[in-house]
Amino acid sequence: MSPNLPPSSSPDTHRHCDPEHRCVTCGDVAVPMRVLALDDRRGLALCATDTDQRETVETALVAPVAIGDELLVHAGTAIAMIGDRKTPGREAEEVLR
Amino acid sequence: MRFVDEFRDAQLGRAVAAEILSRVEPGRRYKVMEVCGGHTHSIYKYGIADLLPDEVELVHGPGCPVCVIPMGRVDDGMAIARRDGVIFTCFGDMMRVPGSERTFTDAKAEGADIRMVYSPLDALRIAKSNPDREVVFFAIGFETTAPSTALTLKRARAEGVENFFCMCNHVTIVPPLRALLESPDLRLDGFIGPGHVSTIVGTRPFEFIPADYRRPLVTAGFEPLDILQAIQMILRQLAEGRCEVENQYGRVVAREGNAVALQVMSEVFELRPHFEWRGLGFISQSALKLSDDYADFDAELRYEVPGVRVADPKACQCGEVLKGVIKPWECKVFGTACTPEHAIGTCMVSPEGACAAYYNYGRYAPEKELVS
Repeated sequence: MSPNLPPSSSPDTHRHCDPEHRCVTCGDVAVPMRVLALDDRRGLALCATDTDQRETVETALVAPVAIGDELLVHAGTAIAMIGDRKTPGREAEEVLR
Repeated sequence: MRFVDEFRDAQLGRAVAAEILSRVEPGRRYKVMEVCGGHTHSIYKYGIADLLPDEVELVHGPGCPVCVIPMGRVDDGMAIARRDGVIFTCFGDMMRVPGSERTFTDAKAEGADIRMVYSPLDALRIAKSNPDREVVFFAIGFETTAPSTALTLKRARAEGVENFFCMCNHVTIVPPLRALLESPDLRLDGFIGPGHVSTIVGTRPFEFIPADYRRPLVTAGFEPLDILQAIQMILRQLAEGRCEVENQYGRVVAREGNAVALQVMSEVFELRPHFEWRGLGFISQSALKLSDDYADFDAELRYEVPGVRVADPKACQCGEVLKGVIKPWECKVFGTACTPEHAIGTCMVSPEGACAAYYNYGRYAPEKELVS
């Protein structure tokens, strides 16, 4: 599957890095996003936040990635697969034991 | 979103706060440093300090990528940004960090082609769209951001992009922590470890803290319940006489970190012998430069940079804030000469900086009215 992914410099993504408010990249913030589409050849994924802000994301650090996966995204790069570690799918009540 | 909403649950938050209260030994004071500026931001944003007993004090650490950039590096970047033909790119908060004479925003207003980017990949796209221009990316950030820069440089090489250069200011978190722990004027009981740095490096690099300095560290996420639970875990360790690295952020952090990211970073970067940190001075092996293999992309080799050291403004006490020696509101210029709109110090520039976080979220708190 190789859809036409929008450039990550699309207006949506600039909400992430607005010097008048808060630059999430400077702040070491990572944003949870869900994978909507994959471009395996280029190692990129189209992802969306829960408020449907969309962005093209580099997936090399967490590959292989599947549609529907939840990724933690920082500076246009997925740095972790959410829930992939020792507490997959656990709710807060269990984590906060 | 899973793992977000449940970690903002007020009822659970009250339960954890109650356990924290029950763990406090009468007459004992606890100083806990949150290493990462992202935690500082969350602590102020969610009012976490107000949920803690008076005996538990949070101390803000040096983990704000923008706050630790010294003025001399801004001036070096400025020298490149003002060259004819160069498109200079950097992240949003970096635009407002003062150099000795101006910020990148000022230089942009004066005519330099300086563009804000959200990711290194955006900077590479600008280079590919402007093949007749030289595009420089001013890279900042801890190990969270460095892999993104490294992957972009690998991509630039693979795609044969020859007009893309990087001025690397990436720093590493462990050396300043060690420097802090060696500081004689600092007494800390435990650390909240940096969650997103740890997704890359893992929790293993922090094991020297309990081993060598007998202080517990709990790696934590950034939602309010993450931070509260980390404090609870630190107090539990102290009450039980334990001292170890624990991982509260297990949903994304593994002890060994991300092997692919570490491999990519080792290909593209090497450690600098020393690097100047704002307010902390020179720290050995605390920053990254491009490796010899990627020297063709190194903006510091491509262009002449002044490389001069610029002393921080005398009125600015960012160094003491970064070391947790003073609170933001104890700085002489906090909220008066130094505000987010007209920052003197870097801690007031980035919302992750302790001063800006406190200014934006906490300055109206009644007990802090000693601010003049």
